Amino acid sequence: MAAVNGELALTVLMGLLLVGVAAWLARVENWRSYTPLGSGGVYGGETGQAHHEKPSGLTRWLTTVDHKDIGIMYGLYGVIAFLIGGAMVMVMRAELLDPGATLISNTFYNSLLTSHGITMLFLFGTPIIAAFSNYFIPLLIGADDMAFPRINAIAFWLLPPGALLIWAGFFPIPNLIPAQTAWTMYTPLSAGVGGGNQANAGVDLMLLGLHLTGVSATMGSINFIATIITERAEEVTWANLDIFSWTILTQSGLILFAFPLLGSALLMLVLDRNFGTTFFVNDAGGAILWQHLFWFFGHPEVYILVLPPMGIVSLLIPRFSGRRLFGFKFVVYSTLAIGVLSFGVWAHHMFATGIDPRLRASFMAVSMAIAIPSAVKTFNWMTTMWNGKLRLTTPMLFCIGFVQNFIIGGITGVFLASIPVDLVLHDTYYVVGHFHFIVMGAIAFAGFAAMYYWFPLVSGRMYQRTLGKAHFWLWIVGSNITFFAMVLLGYGGMPRRYATYLPQFATLHQIASLGAFLMVIGGLIWLYNFVVSYFEGPVVTDGDPWNLKEYNLYTGEWEWFDRKLKTTITDGGDEEVATDGGLHGPVGAETADATDSDDSGRAMDANDE
Amino acid sequence: MDENPGLSDQYRTSSPWPVFVAFGFVISEVGILFGLFPVAVGGLLMFCGSLAGLVHEAGYASTPWRMLAALAVVFLAAGGALATTDVAATRGYAILVAAGILLVGAVVGELVVDSGPTPV
Ligand code: HEM
Ligand SMILES: [Cu+2]
Repeated sequence: MAAVNGELALTVLMGLLLVGVAAWLARVENWRSYTPLGSGGVYGGETGQAHHEKPSGLTRWLTTVDHKDIGIMYGLYGVIAFLIGGAMVMVMRAELLDPGATLISNTFYNSLLTSHGITMLFLFGTPIIAAFSNYFIPLLIGADDMAFPRINAIAFWLLPPGALLIWAGFFPIPNLIPAQTAWTMYTPLSAGVGGGNQANAGVDLMLLGLHLTGVSATMGSINFIATIITERAEEVTWANLDIFSWTILTQSGLILFAFPLLGSALLMLVLDRNFGTTFFVNDAGGAILWQHLFWFFGHPEVYILVLPPMGIVSLLIPRFSGRRLFGFKFVVYSTLAIGVLSFGVWAHHMFATGIDPRLRASFMAVSMAIAIPSAVKTFNWMTTMWNGKLRLTTPMLFCIGFVQNFIIGGITGVFLASIPVDLVLHDTYYVVGHFHFIVMGAIAFAGFAAMYYWFPLVSGRMYQRTLGKAHFWLWIVGSNITFFAMVLLGYGGMPRRYATYLPQFATLHQIASLGAFLMVIGGLIWLYNFVVSYFEGPVVTDGDPWNLKEYNLYTGEWEWFDRKLKTTITDGGDEEVATDGGLHGPVGAETADATDSDDSGRAMDANDE
Repeated sequence: MDENPGLSDQYRTSSPWPVFVAFGFVISEVGILFGLFPVAVGGLLMFCGSLAGLVHEAGYASTPWRMLAALAVVFLAAGGALATTDVAATRGYAILVAAGILLVGAVVGELVVDSGPTPV
């Protein structure tokens, strides 16, 4: 009886939802308006703002297919995920302050561990990169928009429900518990067999959510490949394509080969869990099969995450060193080399599984080889700065922090790639230290460098420089304390993924938590700085806030910004003012003086030194 | 429809469909996996409906109805196949029901809406 009632309620609910959606669509698609149709011949990027680009309010954000809006939504999404993933890990670091399980249960620790990893990699890492690529690639290559704007919007809108599914186990829903499989989802644990609790639907929801983010990333990658290949302005050739676009192109290629594989493997796992298939049954070698499939995706995934940040760093370091990128061609070649090689190293995650030693040796060789193009890039960044006119602005500081952390992360990686060393250090905190130097110390650092660098362009205002510097120093000190302590813990033999530990590890764990705490303070300073500056920061009136013209290093997106400043009211660059109520006439030469009439705009000296 | 422009005709960088393509995809995935019959049906309707709307709006098709019919046929086949299995028969029926509704919708659309005097 109850089941029937439930079914009925669901049916009514679904019916209402569909009717609501249909009604909204009908209303919105009949939007009656005073403006004639078909006036949108020119795109905003070309001549300032076309008059009726977007509807207003919430409808605008729900219906936008503009790459800049979508970029902003990706950015907001990534930042929210970063805050949530950060909060999760702080609970874990608090638990690790003492050896026993004092604060939370072991199972809850495992849930947080799983969710932290997945949140940071799939809900923060990939989306925050997509934020910059969506907003800036079309501007950098002189395209009107992405090649497929609607697919772009679909790709974004898959992410919020994906996040809800991934976190569903934490919500107060009866009979639902969070996944405790770790981000690698190793079978047989994740297949839900045996006496554990991982047959729970919370794990299925997490797998589905992950699948959605994979579909989203794949759609995005197809879009970027098509955009960069076909939508470049005439003057943008392969020879002078900027470095960020190169890395996004390579990254998209990696996504195209890696993510569909993850998607299929996830579906196979879901089938195993719910429909009695036997892909990953243990006695048939299924556990190793899962590891092969997962890492064939998983290793390229780490390069999917690191290549675009490398592109950002390669773009920014020259701009604050007053000279062009040293060995530009070699940076591009090494990007492509990493892209190809990254598919040939996956079994270095499986050295300890007992796979054939001859296979193991070949994976060791390729893993060591991939360090070469990585080192090429590192030396190029250093030689770009060498004897340059360095301007230690906040974005530049974060880029230098990237290089420092990447060096430690990369070198620890080379040690792990050596089989005998790995057999000792596998599944210890050394591995955790290694990849955090890269994912937090490098990838997140580059993300924040980019946020500071383009903040004036997106918000039309400047952030507070002192706070930016404070953020940087707290992070560079905090990340090195935390992750170096982890490397040492690994040398000591502390295994990863445990809520409790032997008393001898207490000091190093407390030091790691201290560093994490410093990073939290830095992060809060960043949040405060960006929120306050977004509303009250000094208005940017100069299309070249970083003085790039002086060094002949001006780029397309700032040109676009400059045009926009000259053609819209400088109230902070909020396009909605111009589009909502049609406050001013069509933008053209006659309104170009609007900039000058704004006397409140404090001309800012954005050298940020 | 020119004298009565919709959102997507009027604003060059707006489209109401993508968000529902995405949500429809999610809802149908959840519905089918967990065997929630109404959720699966509703999700599929939302997904296919907005996909057809999007393809029409983007100018790849002059009306959404044929696309809708094509999707219905695909899901008829998929649902039919699932319905014959032991483990997922109910899920197959859910897909069949959704496909049936879509097919009816497509036929009605083609015959009634597009030839009628005032399109909605
Ligand atoms: C210099 C090139 C690199 C080499 C040679 C290398 C090598 C390795 C090896 C051998 C492992 C396995 C350790 C073990 O589990 O026993 C590993 C783990 C890992 N590496 Fe790297 N790595 C490199 C760069 C990177 C980069 C650039 C990233 C991230 C963008 C990264 C992210 C990771 C992650 C996330 C893991 C841990 C996976 C897990 O959860 O088990 N590595 N690395
Ligand atoms: Cu790897």
